[in-house]
Amino acid sequence: MATLRKRGLRTAVICTEPFLKLAQAQAKTFGVPDLPIIMIPHPLGGISVEQVEGRAHVAWPQLEKLLTEMLK
Amino acid sequence: MSAIDKLLAEPGAGFEAEDDSEAAFEYCMQHGWSDGLPVVLPTTERVERMLAYCDRPWDQPVAMLAPRFGAATPLRLAANAVMAGCRPEYFPLVMLAIEAMAEEPFNLYGIQATTHPCAPLVIVNGPGAKELGMNSGHSALGAGNRANATIGRAVRLSLVNIGGAIPGLGDMSTYGDPTKFTYCAAENEAGNPWQPLHVERGFPPQATTVTVVAAEPPHNVNDHESYTAVGLLTTMAGTIASTGQNNTYYASEPVVLLSPEHAATIGGDGYSKQAVKDYLFAHARVPMHKFSKENIERRFRMKLAHRYGNADPDTLVSMVERAEDFIVVVIGGAGKHSAYIPTFGNTHAVTRALKHADGTLVESIESMRGT
Repeated sequence: MATLRKRGLRTAVICTEPFLKLAQAQAKTFGVPDLPIIMIPHPLGGISVEQVEGRAHVAWPQLEKLLTEMLK
Repeated sequence: MSAIDKLLAEPGAGFEAEDDSEAAFEYCMQHGWSDGLPVVLPTTERVERMLAYCDRPWDQPVAMLAPRFGAATPLRLAANAVMAGCRPEYFPLVMLAIEAMAEEPFNLYGIQATTHPCAPLVIVNGPGAKELGMNSGHSALGAGNRANATIGRAVRLSLVNIGGAIPGLGDMSTYGDPTKFTYCAAENEAGNPWQPLHVERGFPPQATTVTVVAAEPPHNVNDHESYTAVGLLTTMAGTIASTGQNNTYYASEPVVLLSPEHAATIGGDGYSKQAVKDYLFAHARVPMHKFSKENIERRFRMKLAHRYGNADPDTLVSMVERAEDFIVVVIGGAGKHSAYIPTFGNTHAVTRALKHADGTLVESIESMRGT
């Protein structure tokens, strides 16, 4: 993800709360500290398809906002 | 100014602290530089004694350790080896294990940051193990031997202090496990009826090697009754065949640790090491219907569709993709206990031989000592 961003592509990472600090630290380590992070409720594993859809609904507005900012 | 003083003159390279065991431990804990157990303060003199066994530039990284991608220079590794309690002559094996773990097939990033409880199991082969007085016999994976304990601990401290595997930040292991303190032993080559691990993996017998495996703790296999290869391997296959291990889902290399007595019985029945692997591949299997409905739908039908996309629910699922994926090693003393050691899964074991800077094999670790 960091490599793609460095190449100029707009990228974002989808993350759950327990992994936020790791994601932020990794973004910094890989030289893209401003890498957008889309937060969804934990966990992502061990949930039903309906719950996965629920996570997508949480992610979507954040992605929409990112895309809108990108097109400004 | 000595070579080490010059390196320590760099900003942030060293620190001032009272060389008192209690104060040193407190200081290191305050800075997050410990596994929670007391450490030896890495004073200039102690680190320099460790570096006497390093013929590479002390400030040039031998690896970049994920997830922080910290530079593992000999200087920093030596400090961690001191902290772990290593004798200086252990240091070449600490460096070697770190270099092996940094090789891509090992997948150090995944291993360090995963929620899985794996830790690097360091298996030492060749004459160096004996030279350092390593334990390959009774309780080799347990406590009591300084080389086993501190080489493994130095590796782990380096992964934390240089690699940033800090619980909850860089090490996301759900519950961790005790092998994250230390996990190192020598193979019992004298008790191995087949080629030792390093020879099987393409190294000459006189090479001293480390093999690193991203492993779970051992699961014991008790068999006091079987006196045939088939009997013992039936028991081992039964232990290996279980749901819920990463090895089922990835191309991985779990370890079959045989005690010398079990190995002697199996070898005595005419089984080669490959025959052991073939037997376990054929028999260590779980009927697919024993897995949960969700795992069948999501793992087997989707992620492993190339193998199980349309497979019958009674299909016998192998715990590895190929027979040769099993790593067979002989460790331990007297007794009828062997072990199965599952792994992280998305990883391959890496073996490296101890060499001088000019590329020649190290025949004796003592010959590495500089002035």
